[in-house]
Amino acid sequence: MNYADLFRVTLPETALDIAALLVLIVDLGFLRKAALQTRIMAAVLIGVFGCGGALLAMPYQVDGGLAYPGSADLLLSAGGYTAVSQIGILVLTVLTLFLLIGSDFTKHVGEFVAVVLMAATGGLLISAAQDLLVIFVGLELLSLGLYILTAFAKKSGKSAESAMKYYLFGGMSAAFLLFGFSYLYGLTGSTNLHEIMLGFYGPTVISSTPLVYVALVMIAAGLGFKVAAVPFHLWAPDTYEGAPAPAAAFIASVSKVASFALLIGIGTAAAHVFNQMHHAGFVTASRGPAPTWIGFEHPWSLILAIIAVASMVFGNLAALAQDSVRRLLAYSAIAHAGYILIALAYYTGTNVSANAILYYILTYGLTTIAAFGAVSVVERISGSDRMDAFLGLYKRNGLLAGVLLVLFLSLAGIPPLVGFWVKFNLFATILQVNHGAVPLALVALAVAMSAVSLYYYLQVLKRVFVMPPADEAPVKGSPLTIGVLALITLAVVVLGCLPGLMQSWMAGFYAGM
Amino acid sequence: MQEAIAFTPQLDASSIARWLWLIPALPILAAGIISVLKQPRRKLASNLAIGSMGISLLIAITAFAHVLSGWAHDHAVREVVNFSWLTVGTQAVELGWVLDPLSAVMLVMVTFVGLLIFIYSTGYMEHDENYTRFFCFLALFAGAMLGVVIANSILLLFMCWELVGLTSYLLIGFWYFKPSAAAAARKAFITTRVGDIFFLLGIVWLFAQTGTLLFYDHGSGAIEPLALGGLLVHHSHWGLTAAGAIGLLIFAGAAGKSGQLPLHVWLPDAMEGPTPVSALIHAATMVAAGVYLIARVYPLMAGGSIAPGTTTALTVVTWVGASTALFAALIAVAQNDIKRILAYSTVSQLGYMMAGLGVGGVAVGMFHLITHAFFKALLFMGSGSVIHGVHEEQDIRHMGGLRKYMPITFLTYVVGMLALCGVPIFFSGFWSKDAILESAHAWPLSHAPYYMLVFGAILTAFYMTRQVSYVFFGEYRGHGHAHESPRVMTTPLAVLAVFAVALGIIGTPAWPWFRAFLENHAASVEMHAFSEPAWLMLLLTSFVIVILGIGLGWWVYGNKSPRANDPDALQKAIPPVWTVLANRLYIDELYGATVIAFYYWWAKVADWIDRDIWGDMVSTVIWLTNHWARLNKFLDATMVDGAFDKGCEEIYNGGGVLARIQNGRGQVYLRLLALAVVILAAILIWSGRP
Repeated sequence: MNYADLFRVTLPETALDIAALLVLIVDLGFLRKAALQTRIMAAVLIGVFGCGGALLAMPYQVDGGLAYPGSADLLLSAGGYTAVSQIGILVLTVLTLFLLIGSDFTKHVGEFVAVVLMAATGGLLISAAQDLLVIFVGLELLSLGLYILTAFAKKSGKSAESAMKYYLFGGMSAAFLLFGFSYLYGLTGSTNLHEIMLGFYGPTVISSTPLVYVALVMIAAGLGFKVAAVPFHLWAPDTYEGAPAPAAAFIASVSKVASFALLIGIGTAAAHVFNQMHHAGFVTASRGPAPTWIGFEHPWSLILAIIAVASMVFGNLAALAQDSVRRLLAYSAIAHAGYILIALAYYTGTNVSANAILYYILTYGLTTIAAFGAVSVVERISGSDRMDAFLGLYKRNGLLAGVLLVLFLSLAGIPPLVGFWVKFNLFATILQVNHGAVPLALVALAVAMSAVSLYYYLQVLKRVFVMPPADEAPVKGSPLTIGVLALITLAVVVLGCLPGLMQSWMAGFYAGM
Repeated sequence: MQEAIAFTPQLDASSIARWLWLIPALPILAAGIISVLKQPRRKLASNLAIGSMGISLLIAITAFAHVLSGWAHDHAVREVVNFSWLTVGTQAVELGWVLDPLSAVMLVMVTFVGLLIFIYSTGYMEHDENYTRFFCFLALFAGAMLGVVIANSILLLFMCWELVGLTSYLLIGFWYFKPSAAAAARKAFITTRVGDIFFLLGIVWLFAQTGTLLFYDHGSGAIEPLALGGLLVHHSHWGLTAAGAIGLLIFAGAAGKSGQLPLHVWLPDAMEGPTPVSALIHAATMVAAGVYLIARVYPLMAGGSIAPGTTTALTVVTWVGASTALFAALIAVAQNDIKRILAYSTVSQLGYMMAGLGVGGVAVGMFHLITHAFFKALLFMGSGSVIHGVHEEQDIRHMGGLRKYMPITFLTYVVGMLALCGVPIFFSGFWSKDAILESAHAWPLSHAPYYMLVFGAILTAFYMTRQVSYVFFGEYRGHGHAHESPRVMTTPLAVLAVFAVALGIIGTPAWPWFRAFLENHAASVEMHAFSEPAWLMLLLTSFVIVILGIGLGWWVYGNKSPRANDPDALQKAIPPVWTVLANRLYIDELYGATVIAFYYWWAKVADWIDRDIWGDMVSTVIWLTNHWARLNKFLDATMVDGAFDKGCEEIYNGGGVLARIQNGRGQVYLRLLALAVVILAAILIWSGRP
């Protein structure tokens, strides 16, 4: 392992950062006098090229890292689930950038795109990270970018308010996370995920279990904040409501994908070591029957299961009472995070298990970007994201109404849209490996809760299609935005009709692993 | 019989097989485009539908030619293209399509007849307000039907099968403002659903036993020898193998779609739809899908081969088919609606096909399917032309003498009628029906089906003669002036009439080309087959049947001109029999008194449970949920937001700036966060104790 390897593994990140600098140079240097929309187009174009460059650089990645004293393990991984989530992050970033076109919430376009790209860099880093330090740096890179993006609508008080809340909450969560990390380091003597997992089976850690619990809970708080899981979700509704639409879409999609990729990374390391130990007979030989935590083989799984249940129940029920569509999307995001967390609690470390989660979160990100895009189009005309702003949208813009129909039904999990298949696949994957009453009960709860979710999605659709419009004026968005939204909608339908398409694409990344 | 050429597995499908999906995809695409067209774009709508069907026909002919050339060069073509549709965990569900003689023949038939009926529809539906909607449904139907034909996965077949059922429902109820049409559509949908439940059970069982849903998969498909071997040793009750039992479940689905006893009741009512629909869906293609399905899964039924056998499953098929053939023919004798007569005749002929499959194998049943598709489509379109010409009148008693007013319709109709009656030598219907009778005669288990089919054939000739004399002979008894239909309607009639005659050539005993093609052995011309005594006997029987039927019919009805309100000649002669037949053997009434009455009762019980037990439970849950949600909202608004707002307010008022913001927010958030962390840690410690 050497610096050349490290450089190769971070090629996509480098491409994004170069693009971020280029955006700043072009926007601040050459386009100072140009019209706002021209600058947006230029910035978006450079951003898209940056993401494209990063995608092209991906085949040249190798697993990379630096040798530590006493450890020769990885800092950053490549391929497998990392590759899938990195490609997902880049594609979703491109789609988010498209939402910027036609908007006018800020004059500092160059900075906005640059920050988006840098935050995406953080996302790429944490989906590859194998070391606590890299995880923390990557998380902060992502989070700091998100705080700035949330505050970007400088004329809007809401934007500032929500950014402040987000920032304070995020800061505290990061403190918790770091505190938890420091415990782990103190207990196991390593910052490498693999080494830490091995350390769990060493004499020191076993004798200090309560400390391990505290460390795990604190880490769960830090990461629960990133995926907006109850009870670490308090920032989400305000932020989703106050942030400018592209920023909110970015938080809801790219940041979620990256954070779940990180959880997959942690889970993979844990499962890997766990299976190794069981295989070697280490656990049974040294400790008698393996301990369980209410039926879970690992305390980490129990924490995830608890916050999963809390997220599903609280997210779905709170969404029922919302009349702001953005807050509704925020609570629905919390609920979706809950479904995925069940899968993470039962994570087996296999490709199938990882793919089920990635399949879910990637298509969820895709759908939610388009949903925010559609909401922002309506918002721009009516100045509000209240449910009543959607009254009779069907008569005012039929295409947009159709887009919303497909997206919301997909989020609710109605076949044959992709939202149904990913949910089905996720639950089926859980139940295929884990037998017993607890997983079954959790999945049953998830299914029941997604039935509840149909109610609030339909509340929006009822206003769009059934109720008469309050205002007859047609709703017009920029053709490019509408085009992108229609394209995403088409993808949601096609991926739903041919569920194997994306699955086999993802499976291809594990070849030879 | 010659040695069959073995199907050599072809790992690389030819390009025509790889592009076969275009055949169903094009009409479906056309339907999609038409569905978003506005009503006035009539011309574009019909052109899209006809154009897509035309291209599909061309591809289908190319595919057929490909299979044909392979067969001519002594290598049997069965090319499959499979792909993984979805993966759940470690299990994959595969879909795919297949190009083999069976699907190639059906493809050409469906696209060709479909195209003609599409063209005919532009004339028939010319004045309908919902012209675009009609072509949208029609194109969707065609796509789904073609999907059924090419499917290599029983799941894909089932999906298209249901789509076909849906479009059938939509088209029967096309004039939904007529209560009778709406009721007929519902009846069709629900009755076929009964069969489909069994079909689905069969699919699930098959999947559970073989682990695959593909028919052919280079040796590991569900109906290939490897999987079949497992199914055949697995015996369930009454001498049925698992394969046979699954086959019978699938047959129940086929019986629903193909109007076999006892699920035939929907088909005559389905005539409420526009006549082109009756011709395309309820005569030529969809109702034949059941027969095609049985032909497709024949190895399941016949215990591994496609030659006829005497397995339990095939015995059931034979008896059901033969009884359907006879009963429907009986009922057809006493009907007065021109389309209803044809509908019962269709049911009866479908019975022949099923019986043909049961006693004679795939080739025999399929041959009758193909010839029947042409002459029955011809008859239906002819009846449509008649209805069009006499101003939407459908009662044959109010027609008469139309041969003078509608000469082309008359001539083509008579060709269709003679083909249906099976007039020897010159008409295709003779050859195909003859093959069925011949096989039934040779059936080792019982001769009863043979006599039932023969009697049915006499009745067929009789009721068709009755219909033709009522409609075309005597004096005109309707209102207004009858007139010939436009060219766009009569031309397809003429084309179909040619095929109704010519198609017989491919299935004569001397040159059993069709059978050889389907069963994959070489065909040769053997003129001496014509002089075999067994065949001559059958020829003689056929002559007697036809002469008896037509003669009786002509004797009773021919060239008399009864007044419209006169009772039927047969009614005068044998009133009780007539009443029973005219009331369709009271089968609808029987269902009304048993099944439907039971469902009414059951629905009442369910309604009570729903209202008084479930309803209350649900209201309780709703109440709880509502209050919970309110509580959440309250917490959110007052504790979280409220604290922040209060903090802001205080800053605003007091000017205590930054420190207070952090205090106000930090307290609430940090308190909740810390509380959560503590509770989680406590749970862990509690749960992890030894």
